[in-house]
Amino acid sequence: MLARLHGHGEMYLRLVAAQVSAQLQYRVSFLLQSFGQFVATFIDLVTILLIFNRFPSLAGWTLPEVMFLYGVGTLAFGFSDLLCGGFDSLSRMIKTGTFDRVLTRPAGTFIQVLASDLQIRRVGRIAQGVLALGLAISWLDVTWTPPKVLVLLLALLSGTIIFSSIWVIGAAITFWTVETSEVTNVFTYGGAELVSYPMPIYADGIRRFFTFIVPLAFVSYLPALYILDLPDPLGLPPILQVASPVVAMMFLLAARGAWELGVRHYQGTGS
Amino acid sequence: MAMIEAHDLRKTFRVHRRRSGGLLGLVRRDVQEVEAVVGVSLSIGEGELIGYIGPNGAGKSTTIKMLTGILQPSGGVASVAGLNPARRRLEVAKRIGVVFGQRTQLWWDLPLIDSFELLRHIYRVPSSAYHERLATLSEVLDLGPFLNTPVRQLSLGQRMRGDLAAALLHAPPVLFLDEPTIGLDVVAKARIRELLARINREQGVTMLLTTHDLADVERLCTRLLIIDHGRVIYDGSIEAIRERFGNERTVVVDLEHAAPPLCIPGVVVTRVEGPRQWLRFGRSDTTAAEVVSAVAASARLRDLTIEEPAIEDIVRQIYEHGVEPKRDGDAGTGQDDRTVVSRIT
Amino acid sequence: MARSPWFLGDRVFWHAPDSDEIGYFGMPGSRQGGPVRLYWELGWLGFRSVAAYRTAAISGAITNTFFGFLRAYVFIALFQTRADVNGYSLSDTLTFAFVTQGLAAFVALWSWWTIAETVQTGQVTTDLSRPYDYQLAWLAQDYGRAVYQLGMRTVPPIVVGMIAFGITLPTDPLRWLALVPSMVLAVAISFGWRFGLNLTAFWLTDHRGIASVGLLAGFLFSGFLVPLAMWPDGLRELVTLLPFAGMVAIPIDIFLGKITGADLLAAYGLQAFWAVALLVGSRLMFNAALRKLVIQGG
Repeated sequence: MLARLHGHGEMYLRLVAAQVSAQLQYRVSFLLQSFGQFVATFIDLVTILLIFNRFPSLAGWTLPEVMFLYGVGTLAFGFSDLLCGGFDSLSRMIKTGTFDRVLTRPAGTFIQVLASDLQIRRVGRIAQGVLALGLAISWLDVTWTPPKVLVLLLALLSGTIIFSSIWVIGAAITFWTVETSEVTNVFTYGGAELVSYPMPIYADGIRRFFTFIVPLAFVSYLPALYILDLPDPLGLPPILQVASPVVAMMFLLAARGAWELGVRHYQGTGS
Repeated sequence: MAMIEAHDLRKTFRVHRRRSGGLLGLVRRDVQEVEAVVGVSLSIGEGELIGYIGPNGAGKSTTIKMLTGILQPSGGVASVAGLNPARRRLEVAKRIGVVFGQRTQLWWDLPLIDSFELLRHIYRVPSSAYHERLATLSEVLDLGPFLNTPVRQLSLGQRMRGDLAAALLHAPPVLFLDEPTIGLDVVAKARIRELLARINREQGVTMLLTTHDLADVERLCTRLLIIDHGRVIYDGSIEAIRERFGNERTVVVDLEHAAPPLCIPGVVVTRVEGPRQWLRFGRSDTTAAEVVSAVAASARLRDLTIEEPAIEDIVRQIYEHGVEPKRDGDAGTGQDDRTVVSRIT
Repeated sequence: MARSPWFLGDRVFWHAPDSDEIGYFGMPGSRQGGPVRLYWELGWLGFRSVAAYRTAAISGAITNTFFGFLRAYVFIALFQTRADVNGYSLSDTLTFAFVTQGLAAFVALWSWWTIAETVQTGQVTTDLSRPYDYQLAWLAQDYGRAVYQLGMRTVPPIVVGMIAFGITLPTDPLRWLALVPSMVLAVAISFGWRFGLNLTAFWLTDHRGIASVGLLAGFLFSGFLVPLAMWPDGLRELVTLLPFAGMVAIPIDIFLGKITGADLLAAYGLQAFWAVALLVGSRLMFNAALRKLVIQGG
């Protein structure tokens, strides 16, 4: 089992390394595009700064606190965006017949698709996330303890997994609809926007949906409550604030399940 | 042991058709059941090189997809290298190579050798075996000159050879080829055919070749499967098909002097060009020897050739009219009887 | 000689000026067809080109609505701390949140690289050989696109906003009337800007990297993300003078009734100025691109 995991891992890394080296050949292009990405996401940061220039707080949250949410969310989304390009282009793979090729190879479809499209220019967003989070932490007055650092790191990891799972589920739906499910964008890009702000500002229904169905609340809001020692007006059990990794794994399992169902459907009906 | 086997393979698709446009069209849809493959059975032994042909939409690619694990059959059982592709996709994948003529599996931006390296890791080929295989394939397919060239810069012929090597790197006992000569010029086509024959001969790779170019089949295959409307309508040797369906032959006679069309029983003169006449006759009606004697008796004969029916014409006839052989003189009774033909071994 | 533009097939004919042949439909005021008819047809083509992707429009509308929601919630939370920012009340910003989504689609505020793509695919050489003005032809098509997206991407978010947040539409017909010139000019400004950015493809193989920064600048300074009224004093005045305000901020402010009377004329003037400036400027760029093509080839 461990050997198989190692085998998968090695194959994945090699496939990704090949793409990275191919893309790095166009160094100037990479730099320009990453810069473009950085600027695009930087504009979101500017938006927050502009807002807080006029308003002292957002539902009781100060600028550094919202920046913290934004930074964590952007990093998590940025990493998932970097990793999951292949799922986003699944529709194209199906249309061109490339997915059939995937099925003739002695490796799982999931890992092959995961390794199929890694665009390194997406580090632009990640750089922007680091900037935002760095600024937030420097402005905040947090007493950092080892558990808090751990929670933050796990939150970033979990957030990445949660967003990645959304990409996977969106791709799985493509097996049924064939057209790119642009509704996925609502949950990915929309989700990234959503997690930049504290959850209590949203209506009940939306909040509950994004806590218990698509667990975006676990990306930045709940861990932030723990790390920044903020009260939770919603009165959720405090344990949830550190439960991100568990929730992320469960959601990932659900996403994998959806993926397998999708592949099976594809094998049953063709394209 | 049969390398590729299928017992009564079936595949039915459910096709959704929009009844009306607009949002309503997304909800209300007619569901049609399309039977793409209706009970295909075949058996291909180790080392055979078989042609698998049929008109567009006949069910060719659907069959291949079921044999390679891409599609799940609706019924029946397939077996490739002893394993069921529907149940054991990963293991079957290790034992097959697939070449799609129209879509390369090589990485477009990378040098050819890099693609091979990646495939080595995907197929878990041990290092020493890999280098040995690579050397052999490189030599046979003459890849040396362009091993380091990015795939996007290769000519079609070079790319095809690269794809062939890529499919054989892991030494699969079975190779599926889908239109491997498509788009190639005459020279490249001949070369690929020669290479395929050689690999089949020297390495004993069982090959199933799907193609629209019947010259491929004629040059390479000993056996031919024809599929139409989801059924195998012919499974037998090329010679047998010629004998059975290539009922007509043509003797081209060069006379000493131009003459009016010769009148010989059982013979139809299809063309006259000066002293040359084309004489068509059915095998069942007379023989070439008789025709030639008859010609010699009635005119001064200088030279002659005998034309066999081309496979292409035979197959076209089969596509158009099914397997009832058209007898000479039949004015298109057009029996669209797609009866399943029992195997001619 | 009657000639049918390549993309219209054989259905529509127009005639080169100075010819007497009858066009397909006569338009009042135009000489039996002629340029007015041509550009009308081009607009219709632009409409149809976008309308073909109906699912994209629907998903776009859904995305727009979702973002409208998010923005609305943020504003609601913000306005708990103060009731008014520079004349913008909460109800103003809620209306803003939903209407600007559609407006942004209307002026194609987001990435739009159609022309650059024709350069990359080589299609542009065919387009350039057509016997009509390249820039104006694209402008006409853009208006067609804009009209389609006005229907498909503007109406749904507004309807949802009305239902979910109780936003209201202006009742004064004069205000609706005042909106029209502003919207027309907004598309012209946006097109001039995008046309120029797309033309960079003639010089740069990788135009997206640099040119998208241009798009983003437009995005930010148009007042789409944050109403210009909420920008810091001083900065706001400067940004308003930029062309981008004319793409979103001016139309939305007219819609909200913030610009009336004499200010209206000033606003139109500003928009018109930028529309002309950008169209002329990008036209000069285009001429330069043509010269480059002639000298250097494809």
